[in-house]
Amino acid sequence: MEKVQMNFEPIILFALEVLAYVSIYLIVNEGLNIQLGVTGITQFGLVFAVSGGAFTAGYLATRAGVWMFHINTGGLDFINGNIILTTEVNSMTKAQPLNGFALLLIVIIVAGIVGALLGIISSVPAINLRSDYLGITLLAFGEILNVFGTAYTPLIGGPPGVIVPDVWAWAGGNRFVASTFTLVALAGMAYLYIEYVIRSPLGRTMRAIRDNEAAAQSLGKNLPRCRLEAIVIGSVLASIGGALFVLYAGSVTPTLTRYTWTFIPWLMLLLGGLGSNVGTLVGTATWFTLYDLILYYKFYLQNILPFDVVWLNYILLGIIVMLILIFRPQGLIPEKPLRAAGAAKSSTQ
Amino acid sequence: MALIEPFTIAETLIYASLLSLMGVGVTLLYKTSKVPNFAHASFVTLGGYVNFSLVSAFGWNPYLGLPIAFVLVGGESLLLFFLVLEPLRKAKCSVAFLMIATLAWHIAMLGFLGAYADSLETLLRIPSRNVILSRLDFTLAGLPGIFYVSVTVTVVAAVALYFVIERTNIGIALRACMENQNLAAAVGINTTRMLGIAWFLAAGLAGVAGALLPLWTQLSTGSGDTLIAAMFCVSILGGLETLYGAFAGGLILAFAQIVGTTILAKTVGLWITPYQPVVPLLLMAIVLMTNPKGIGGMKVWRRFK
Repeated sequence: MEKVQMNFEPIILFALEVLAYVSIYLIVNEGLNIQLGVTGITQFGLVFAVSGGAFTAGYLATRAGVWMFHINTGGLDFINGNIILTTEVNSMTKAQPLNGFALLLIVIIVAGIVGALLGIISSVPAINLRSDYLGITLLAFGEILNVFGTAYTPLIGGPPGVIVPDVWAWAGGNRFVASTFTLVALAGMAYLYIEYVIRSPLGRTMRAIRDNEAAAQSLGKNLPRCRLEAIVIGSVLASIGGALFVLYAGSVTPTLTRYTWTFIPWLMLLLGGLGSNVGTLVGTATWFTLYDLILYYKFYLQNILPFDVVWLNYILLGIIVMLILIFRPQGLIPEKPLRAAGAAKSSTQ
Repeated sequence: MALIEPFTIAETLIYASLLSLMGVGVTLLYKTSKVPNFAHASFVTLGGYVNFSLVSAFGWNPYLGLPIAFVLVGGESLLLFFLVLEPLRKAKCSVAFLMIATLAWHIAMLGFLGAYADSLETLLRIPSRNVILSRLDFTLAGLPGIFYVSVTVTVVAAVALYFVIERTNIGIALRACMENQNLAAAVGINTTRMLGIAWFLAAGLAGVAGALLPLWTQLSTGSGDTLIAAMFCVSILGGLETLYGAFAGGLILAFAQIVGTTILAKTVGLWITPYQPVVPLLLMAIVLMTNPKGIGGMKVWRRFK
């Protein structure tokens, strides 16, 4: 079959990459929003679930590929023979789009299951502790997986990490278009799912707990169960986001930091407006636009400044967040009262 | 072969001293401002870089930089307090917002420190990452000077803090602020000023700990971040009931992390060593879930009162 090869302008490739990262982060941020924005859990350990998903993808993708396509490993193990086996799997995903999508689906499903398990683990403290204690405990949990990823080499090969198969190899030169569209579609699904959860009775209970715990409890709401559900839903999404990040980037190392995968998502949510689903989308998109504008002008600035422009990012983003907190704590798109899912229009008036 | 060498004990005590100096500040700020302060990490790193710059620029003895690190880092924390936290406190923001504000400050500071370290390298050709100052240290009775100095500084800080908090008028006002800020304000205590003093003291001590850091181990722009979990662990182990618990917490964590893993490595096997960073995380999670009041909040202490 003849492949159509398009030549892309650098700016379009740049835009595609930004769109892909916005999509990945949107999935993770929806996971944070349901916990932090909607239920009021101070989730400072989002990176726990994200690295869970990322390591799942790193551990599983090549193994699943070898199993699915009946590749003969020839006695190679998955760490030392990582590159050879991954190349073998790539040749299969290159031959047939269906192979690629099947592998993607397997990784997403397993990452979701792992995320749910990690969510159940991190819900143990969340049920008993107050918000500030809880924040610190979850922060502590957060980077524990990195320690294991570094120390336990059979998982993802320790500090050097492993490469993972390219599930979009079938697209050839259009790989970035194919991957970006897949990610955008998945992010759209995550967005609609959280929109549905927020409008469902479960979502109303979550907001009731956030706004007034005692009142929600006195109305007979099961607080621990509702918190557990929020954390599990959030962790599943965060884990899937982590797995997609690894599949998109093509490799994984045990270096997913709480800065990139907990604090940045917090700041994006604050920017957009906590608890508001549209706000999550707007916050994520605005953040990346700002961030990438700085990166785009990096080369102009790099000649003037005696330091790496990435530090300017840190400074500006920190200051922007402080300004938002002081002058517009409700975010760009504040949370609004919502119509319940399935309710008739007239009943809300 | 002895299970633990004397040198390991010295290392542990240095680590315990530095951790205590950082942890006591976390507790003090939690008790006064009601916020777990994430910016403590950047206070430590800033203190380290203040000392490193003084040593590089003027060739000072690395111990001369301690008071300057105390004042400068204390001053930096006042900026954070008056520019960011006070407006938020007046607007009655939730704890989560205060936490994220300290975090945002930390991230901005991380940017400043990174830019500063880069500038030292590009403009002045001074290597500024993974720096260590222990070659400038003195040796006494076979042990490095940092051992004596860090233990002395910590003991002096603990005693001084005790006198300020328990014996002076400022201390009484501070304790009143810790108990009930509205009531303290009602009897005429300037709570803003008191909180400012608490921030200055807490950040100053973190700055001193940071200034001592390059004498013991490598200093980088991420040094504070690698220690932040340990700082919270010390504060929580010690308990938020009393300030002085942090000193016990520092000792326990340092022993668990250095002596504990040394013994485990010799008995169980070397493969356990890379898991050392898990120790503070697990300790903290266990304490929070079983005995959230920490050591200082345990009932045994009531007998001594």
